[in-house]
Amino acid sequence: MDLVLQLLFTGLGIGAVYALVALGFVLIFRATNVVNFAQGEFSMVAAYLMVVFAVDLQWPYGWSFVAALAGMALLGAIFNLGVYYPLRNRTFLPVIIATIGASIFLANTVLALYGPQPQVLSGWFATPGIQVGPVYLDSQYLLIMGVTLVLVAFNFWFFEHTLLGKKLQATSQDKEMAALLGIPVATMIMLTFVYSALLGGVAGILVAPILFVSIQMGSTIALKAFAATIIGGFGDVKGAIIGGLALGVIETFGAAYISVPYKDGFAFLVLVAFLIFRPQGIFGERVAEKA
Amino acid sequence: MVTARRVTGTIAYVALSALAVAVVGLLPMDDYTIHILVQTATFAIAVFGLTVVLGLCGQINLAQAAFFGFGAYAVGLGTADLHLNFWVALAIGAGVALVMGAFLGMTTLRLGGHYLAMVTISFQQIVTLIMVNWIPVTHGPDGIGKIQRPAMFESTHAFLGLCVFAMAVIGYIVWRLPQTPLGRSMRAVRDNELAAGVAGINVYRVKVAAFALSAVLGGIGGGFFAGGFAYVSPDQFSFGESIVFITMTLLGGVSSPVGALIGTALLIVLPESLRFLKSVPGLYLAIYGLSIILIIRYMPDGIWGFVQNRVRRWFAPAAFTDAAAELTLAPAKTDAPMALEIQGLSKHFGGLKAVDDVSFSVRRGDVHALIGPNGSGKTTTLNVLSGIYAATAGRVVLSGRDVSLLPPYARTAAGMGRTFQNIRLFRSMTALENVIIGAEHPGNDIGDGHAALVERARAALAFVGLEARAQELVTAFSYGHQRLIEIARALAGNPTLLLLDEPAAGLNPTEKQGLRDLLKRIASKGLTILIIDHDMTLVTEVAERITVLNFGRHIADGVAADVLRQPDVIAAYLGSEPDASALA
Amino acid sequence: MKIGMCAPVTGPAAESGRYAQIGAKLAVDAVNKAGGVLGKQVELIVEDDQTTNPGIVLAFSKLASQTDIVAFLGSIRSTQLHAMAPDALKVGKPVMIGGTDPALTHMGNQWYFRFRPNDSYSGKVIADYGVNTLGKKKWAIVHSTDAFGTAGGKALTEALGKISGASIALDQGYTNQSQDFTPVVLAIKQSGADILGSYFTFENDLGVFARQLRQLGVTIPYVGSPSIVNVTALKLAGPALYGTFGVADYAEDSSPASKAFGKIYREVAKVAPDNQSSWTYDAVTVLCMAINKAGKTDPTAIREAILAVRKHPGAEGEYNFDANGDGLHGYNIVKNENGTIVFDKHIESAS
Repeated sequence: MDLVLQLLFTGLGIGAVYALVALGFVLIFRATNVVNFAQGEFSMVAAYLMVVFAVDLQWPYGWSFVAALAGMALLGAIFNLGVYYPLRNRTFLPVIIATIGASIFLANTVLALYGPQPQVLSGWFATPGIQVGPVYLDSQYLLIMGVTLVLVAFNFWFFEHTLLGKKLQATSQDKEMAALLGIPVATMIMLTFVYSALLGGVAGILVAPILFVSIQMGSTIALKAFAATIIGGFGDVKGAIIGGLALGVIETFGAAYISVPYKDGFAFLVLVAFLIFRPQGIFGERVAEKA
Repeated sequence: MVTARRVTGTIAYVALSALAVAVVGLLPMDDYTIHILVQTATFAIAVFGLTVVLGLCGQINLAQAAFFGFGAYAVGLGTADLHLNFWVALAIGAGVALVMGAFLGMTTLRLGGHYLAMVTISFQQIVTLIMVNWIPVTHGPDGIGKIQRPAMFESTHAFLGLCVFAMAVIGYIVWRLPQTPLGRSMRAVRDNELAAGVAGINVYRVKVAAFALSAVLGGIGGGFFAGGFAYVSPDQFSFGESIVFITMTLLGGVSSPVGALIGTALLIVLPESLRFLKSVPGLYLAIYGLSIILIIRYMPDGIWGFVQNRVRRWFAPAAFTDAAAELTLAPAKTDAPMALEIQGLSKHFGGLKAVDDVSFSVRRGDVHALIGPNGSGKTTTLNVLSGIYAATAGRVVLSGRDVSLLPPYARTAAGMGRTFQNIRLFRSMTALENVIIGAEHPGNDIGDGHAALVERARAALAFVGLEARAQELVTAFSYGHQRLIEIARALAGNPTLLLLDEPAAGLNPTEKQGLRDLLKRIASKGLTILIIDHDMTLVTEVAERITVLNFGRHIADGVAADVLRQPDVIAAYLGSEPDASALA
Repeated sequence: MKIGMCAPVTGPAAESGRYAQIGAKLAVDAVNKAGGVLGKQVELIVEDDQTTNPGIVLAFSKLASQTDIVAFLGSIRSTQLHAMAPDALKVGKPVMIGGTDPALTHMGNQWYFRFRPNDSYSGKVIADYGVNTLGKKKWAIVHSTDAFGTAGGKALTEALGKISGASIALDQGYTNQSQDFTPVVLAIKQSGADILGSYFTFENDLGVFARQLRQLGVTIPYVGSPSIVNVTALKLAGPALYGTFGVADYAEDSSPASKAFGKIYREVAKVAPDNQSSWTYDAVTVLCMAINKAGKTDPTAIREAILAVRKHPGAEGEYNFDANGDGLHGYNIVKNENGTIVFDKHIESAS
């Protein structure tokens, strides 16, 4: 039983990371119908920004966090202007490839500027963790879970109960109609990318103390997060969260009870199973094309 | 179809290929150059596979490196471990790739777009995991060394010649593929899947074929690659490599093997000559990533596509000089008096009953109109008739044959033809090609060979008055003319029943006149027509019978004049004169 | 006098490539200052192998096309060395290698000369130290599933099999870049092992693993493959690796030669030296020494001269070349004492 509890905690912890990144995916997808393959790199860049501010420049942790997020907002805006917006009227394939190009560009620019050595980032809390009975609760994972909960709640409130949130929803559901109603669509899309970059950035900064800051940290998480969004239901926010948590748990238990080396395979097998038998995921809706 | 153009093209291709093989085979070159050329040739074969599945058929395949790997491992394990002959091992590799590719293609039954992308990525990742971890079979991360080459081609130089030869042969096949029936079907599926199905193409089977073909080419490329480098390991067949293949395709131009070759060569040779950029780690790849974005933005058709667009004008085929034949329509397949019977048809979307227990019949030879307010279920009914939607309940009987469970292409073979409310032509093709596709389905008895198809297509185009411009791209035609081409495409298929969904939509009054005359000429050939439209003038002029739908239910059905006088039809749809006293 | 070097300038191993180049250049400078080779100054020509297999094949063939290059430095990664082996055989000139897969010197390729002890030795040394010095017999083995980890794990298992009383309670593979090692750590706890041996390829995996090991309360003695004492691993894992042991082919305090290398390396690189740079330093030094002794650049002559090297004090240890081309046959055991790597002893292996 102790084993199960510990595995459950770790599974939920890593699952929360997937969930945060997945949230970023889903928001961009809903607004633009595009899958952003550079989402993982957003997390990675934010982590490096934290290292620059908190470790190299020795700024206080809190201010470094703010500065890093400011940088991410800027990155999200530039990304929108440089990659998505010029291609917004093309089919999805060129956009996917362009975002892949962006992810390669971001990863290697950081490499060129910072070098290949992994970096250490300290966690938010001084104590690394607490022992509750037989289970060890890593404090950074607890923080991640907490922040994810808060952000999900914030997300819900923002999109359902504020006017700006509703405008963003309208834009994501029908750009033309939103424009006709006087909603500045270009601004809404810009806001979506900025918000998504911030979410990805928060995920990266939170997970960096556990996984270390390295060039590859983004891509490994992003692929799993993408799988999570499909399992949860593409385009559905709560699906992304549930999918991320579920994936983290499946992986961890699969590694413990079936096979550690094939751990990554479970994620993909589950994904393929969903895609074949229930492509709309757990919460998604089937969308048919109008003939 | 053997034209002078094709013959010249083939001769030129063969000559160029022979020259290339001779040059690489005989010219003395150092190992470094040979290695680069082997890599280019074998990668190019794999990229040709992407030209087929992505360029021609429009399906995304992010797992090409996995298929490349199947071929490489087959040759590797086959020659090094099992001591098989190289060609046998290569054949096994291609076979495995074929099966896996078809399997992947079968997932397209339910999925497209992003979902398909994710399936291919997952497939790729799973294959990589197996390559790394199934150590007893694949040697795991150690890789496989001592891979053998075929007899007579053992020297690296000779093997290079063999690779270039293979590339040339496969390149020729891929080059000619677009003009074959399968290739045309693929292009139709890419341009407009729905229309392709309705034009008689078995869309699912075409997609599976495209995936299978793409996978086989990937496997063949991989097999030659293994022979060339004599050592393979799993990291060469990962998702990153799949992205490299895609980038090569896009850079050169996605729809042509020439583009594929250009892209491949550039992305292999360029980094080698830019080795100085490698002095700063990451700099080269950062520029690579940036270039991908720039290519997508400014050269979406790739380098070769860019060139092709510029020179297209000079190579366009000339219009036909002889007169087209008369269009024959052979509508009567059986003696059934009713061309179409709809019995208790329902289509529900969740709680919404778009079509609710609708029944009516269309008499052979009639022009039958289906009218009603917006949202009454007319187009949905038509879509159920075509097989695009599956009915929730009810039966569709075409000339006495129950087609309720048949997919769209099978209904076309049984004698259905249709046009769409939003014109669905194959935008990358000429008018002639669009109509040929309409003619090219099983069940259409027009004689064998490409010449018969061309003749049929020209006849159909002549019938709608557009034969003189048959060789132009459909995008060059006005909206009204595009509508006519769509009708010609449906007619070319020899339908028993022609379904027209708002054919007058978007036409100006003159064009509507032309349409009305056309409909009358079609009817005079004995073809049965079921037409949806809002233009009551048109409807009253051509329709003998009318069915009226409202809120998914039929509220009237019968001879046109009678139906139009019924009070509930007037209330629901036609409206009455405004009450003069109310305005006073 | 030109020596060619294939190094990862780009790709995941770019960092190690940088260190390798520094080590090689230090040796070149020393040789040139002492008069060069056969009277000529040595020049090092570096080509990027991109950390990939086709990359090193292309890099090597590019270097090989320059016929005035007399010998080469290959990679530290065994899989790359396998990839370029056919070409090395064809070119027929000496290649100094740093990869530790034992097969590399046992596959009939006479042109590979190894400047690090191969993994059959590391396995034996870990087993020897754990059982005979630390007195622990019930082993848990954790290794990555790539070529290096798999071969290492196998070597350790075989070595333990030859020691009576030693048993293997757990043999656990993991995929590189795992991000979470909770299942592995729990498996170790459940196996009841009293000592842990590991072969980790990447330092960030090692860092996560070590931390989770401590978080979940595992305190058994731990002897790891060389990455456990690398500069990066120490930085990432911090206190989690205090008190652990490592087999290190390079240990700064193990000999006067290694200390001397450490000193000159720090001056240039500004960080502590490790095995990524020491082997290239030794390789260039021994190569130049051999050419000078042979008196000519004929490959066979150089080969014989290298194989005749006995008791050469290199940074990695004392080189005694055997007929297969292996120069080193033992490992140092070092201990991580609160962040400082302290040399414990050297264990030479019989075979």
